[in-house]
Amino acid sequence: MRWVVLLLAFLLPALAQEAPPPDLSPEVFRIARELRCPVCQGESAAESNSGVAAEMRRIIAEMLQEGKTEEEIKAFFVERYGEWILYAPPRRGVTLWVWVLPVLGLLLLGLGLFAYFRPKPLPKELLEEAERRLKEPPR
Amino acid sequence: MRGWLWLLLLLALGGLFFWGMQRNPKELPSVLAKERRPAPDFTLPLLSPYRAEWGEAFRLADHLGKRPIVLNFWASWCYPACYEEAPILEASWRRHRGEVLFVGVNTQDKEEEALRFIAQFGLTFPQVYDPRGRVGVDYGMYGVPETFFIDREGRVLARHAGAIDEATLARYLEEALR
Repeated sequence: MRWVVLLLAFLLPALAQEAPPPDLSPEVFRIARELRCPVCQGESAAESNSGVAAEMRRIIAEMLQEGKTEEEIKAFFVERYGEWILYAPPRRGVTLWVWVLPVLGLLLLGLGLFAYFRPKPLPKELLEEAERRLKEPPR
Repeated sequence: MRGWLWLLLLLALGGLFFWGMQRNPKELPSVLAKERRPAPDFTLPLLSPYRAEWGEAFRLADHLGKRPIVLNFWASWCYPACYEEAPILEASWRRHRGEVLFVGVNTQDKEEEALRFIAQFGLTFPQVYDPRGRVGVDYGMYGVPETFFIDREGRVLARHAGAIDEATLARYLEEALR
């Protein structure tokens, strides 16, 4: 019994932190997570407590209520801030390289490793030498 | 032959890395200024000291396309940048009053603190109140202070992020008045 209480005491605050604040729906936070916070840059609009991020969440909530789709909401922010506002760089243009390069790098690494560890055929002289020794009558 | 290929690849990757290191991640281009888009319209309540002259609410569209507009976003909590530029903006407004309209947008602030800031610097150009910061999002604002220069046709000419100094302000004004 004591253990259960102790466990709950530890778990409940953690659970409480998991849930988004009750005033906005989880959908709002899901979309906000894919948008960058303009002031804090390293954070998404979902995590940040800055005024701009809070306003972005409010705008997302309002647009959702108006029946806008996620694409339309993202386009709204791209229209104002440019593609910079999207957390995931678009898979076209210059930023396509961000998606392609890691795969290319892994491929090159694989090729390099394969070339390095591939069993190499023994040199011909060595083989001939071995054959000659086999044919020699044992002393 | 193969050795050269690897060297070339290494140089290419090194070049890419070097180029990336030279870029300034803090440089945030304004979509509005880059494409010289029409300034987004807004209607906001004026702060009390300006209501006698400008009315209860300020509609930007009423002033767009008549003369250049300097739109300054600020907040009383934005220290020291907003405190540095406030006297510069006020002095410039007094000098260019007839030809350029200055508008202050108080963003994400408390009204009494905004009023204290205004009194401290004796700001005489119209100040609107935007506690939500909604207009800032329309302008693609990153943070206060930020100053937008709108040309005679009502298009965004330039955006200056951070406290503006006298020389920069004069340069942009000259461009807007040209």
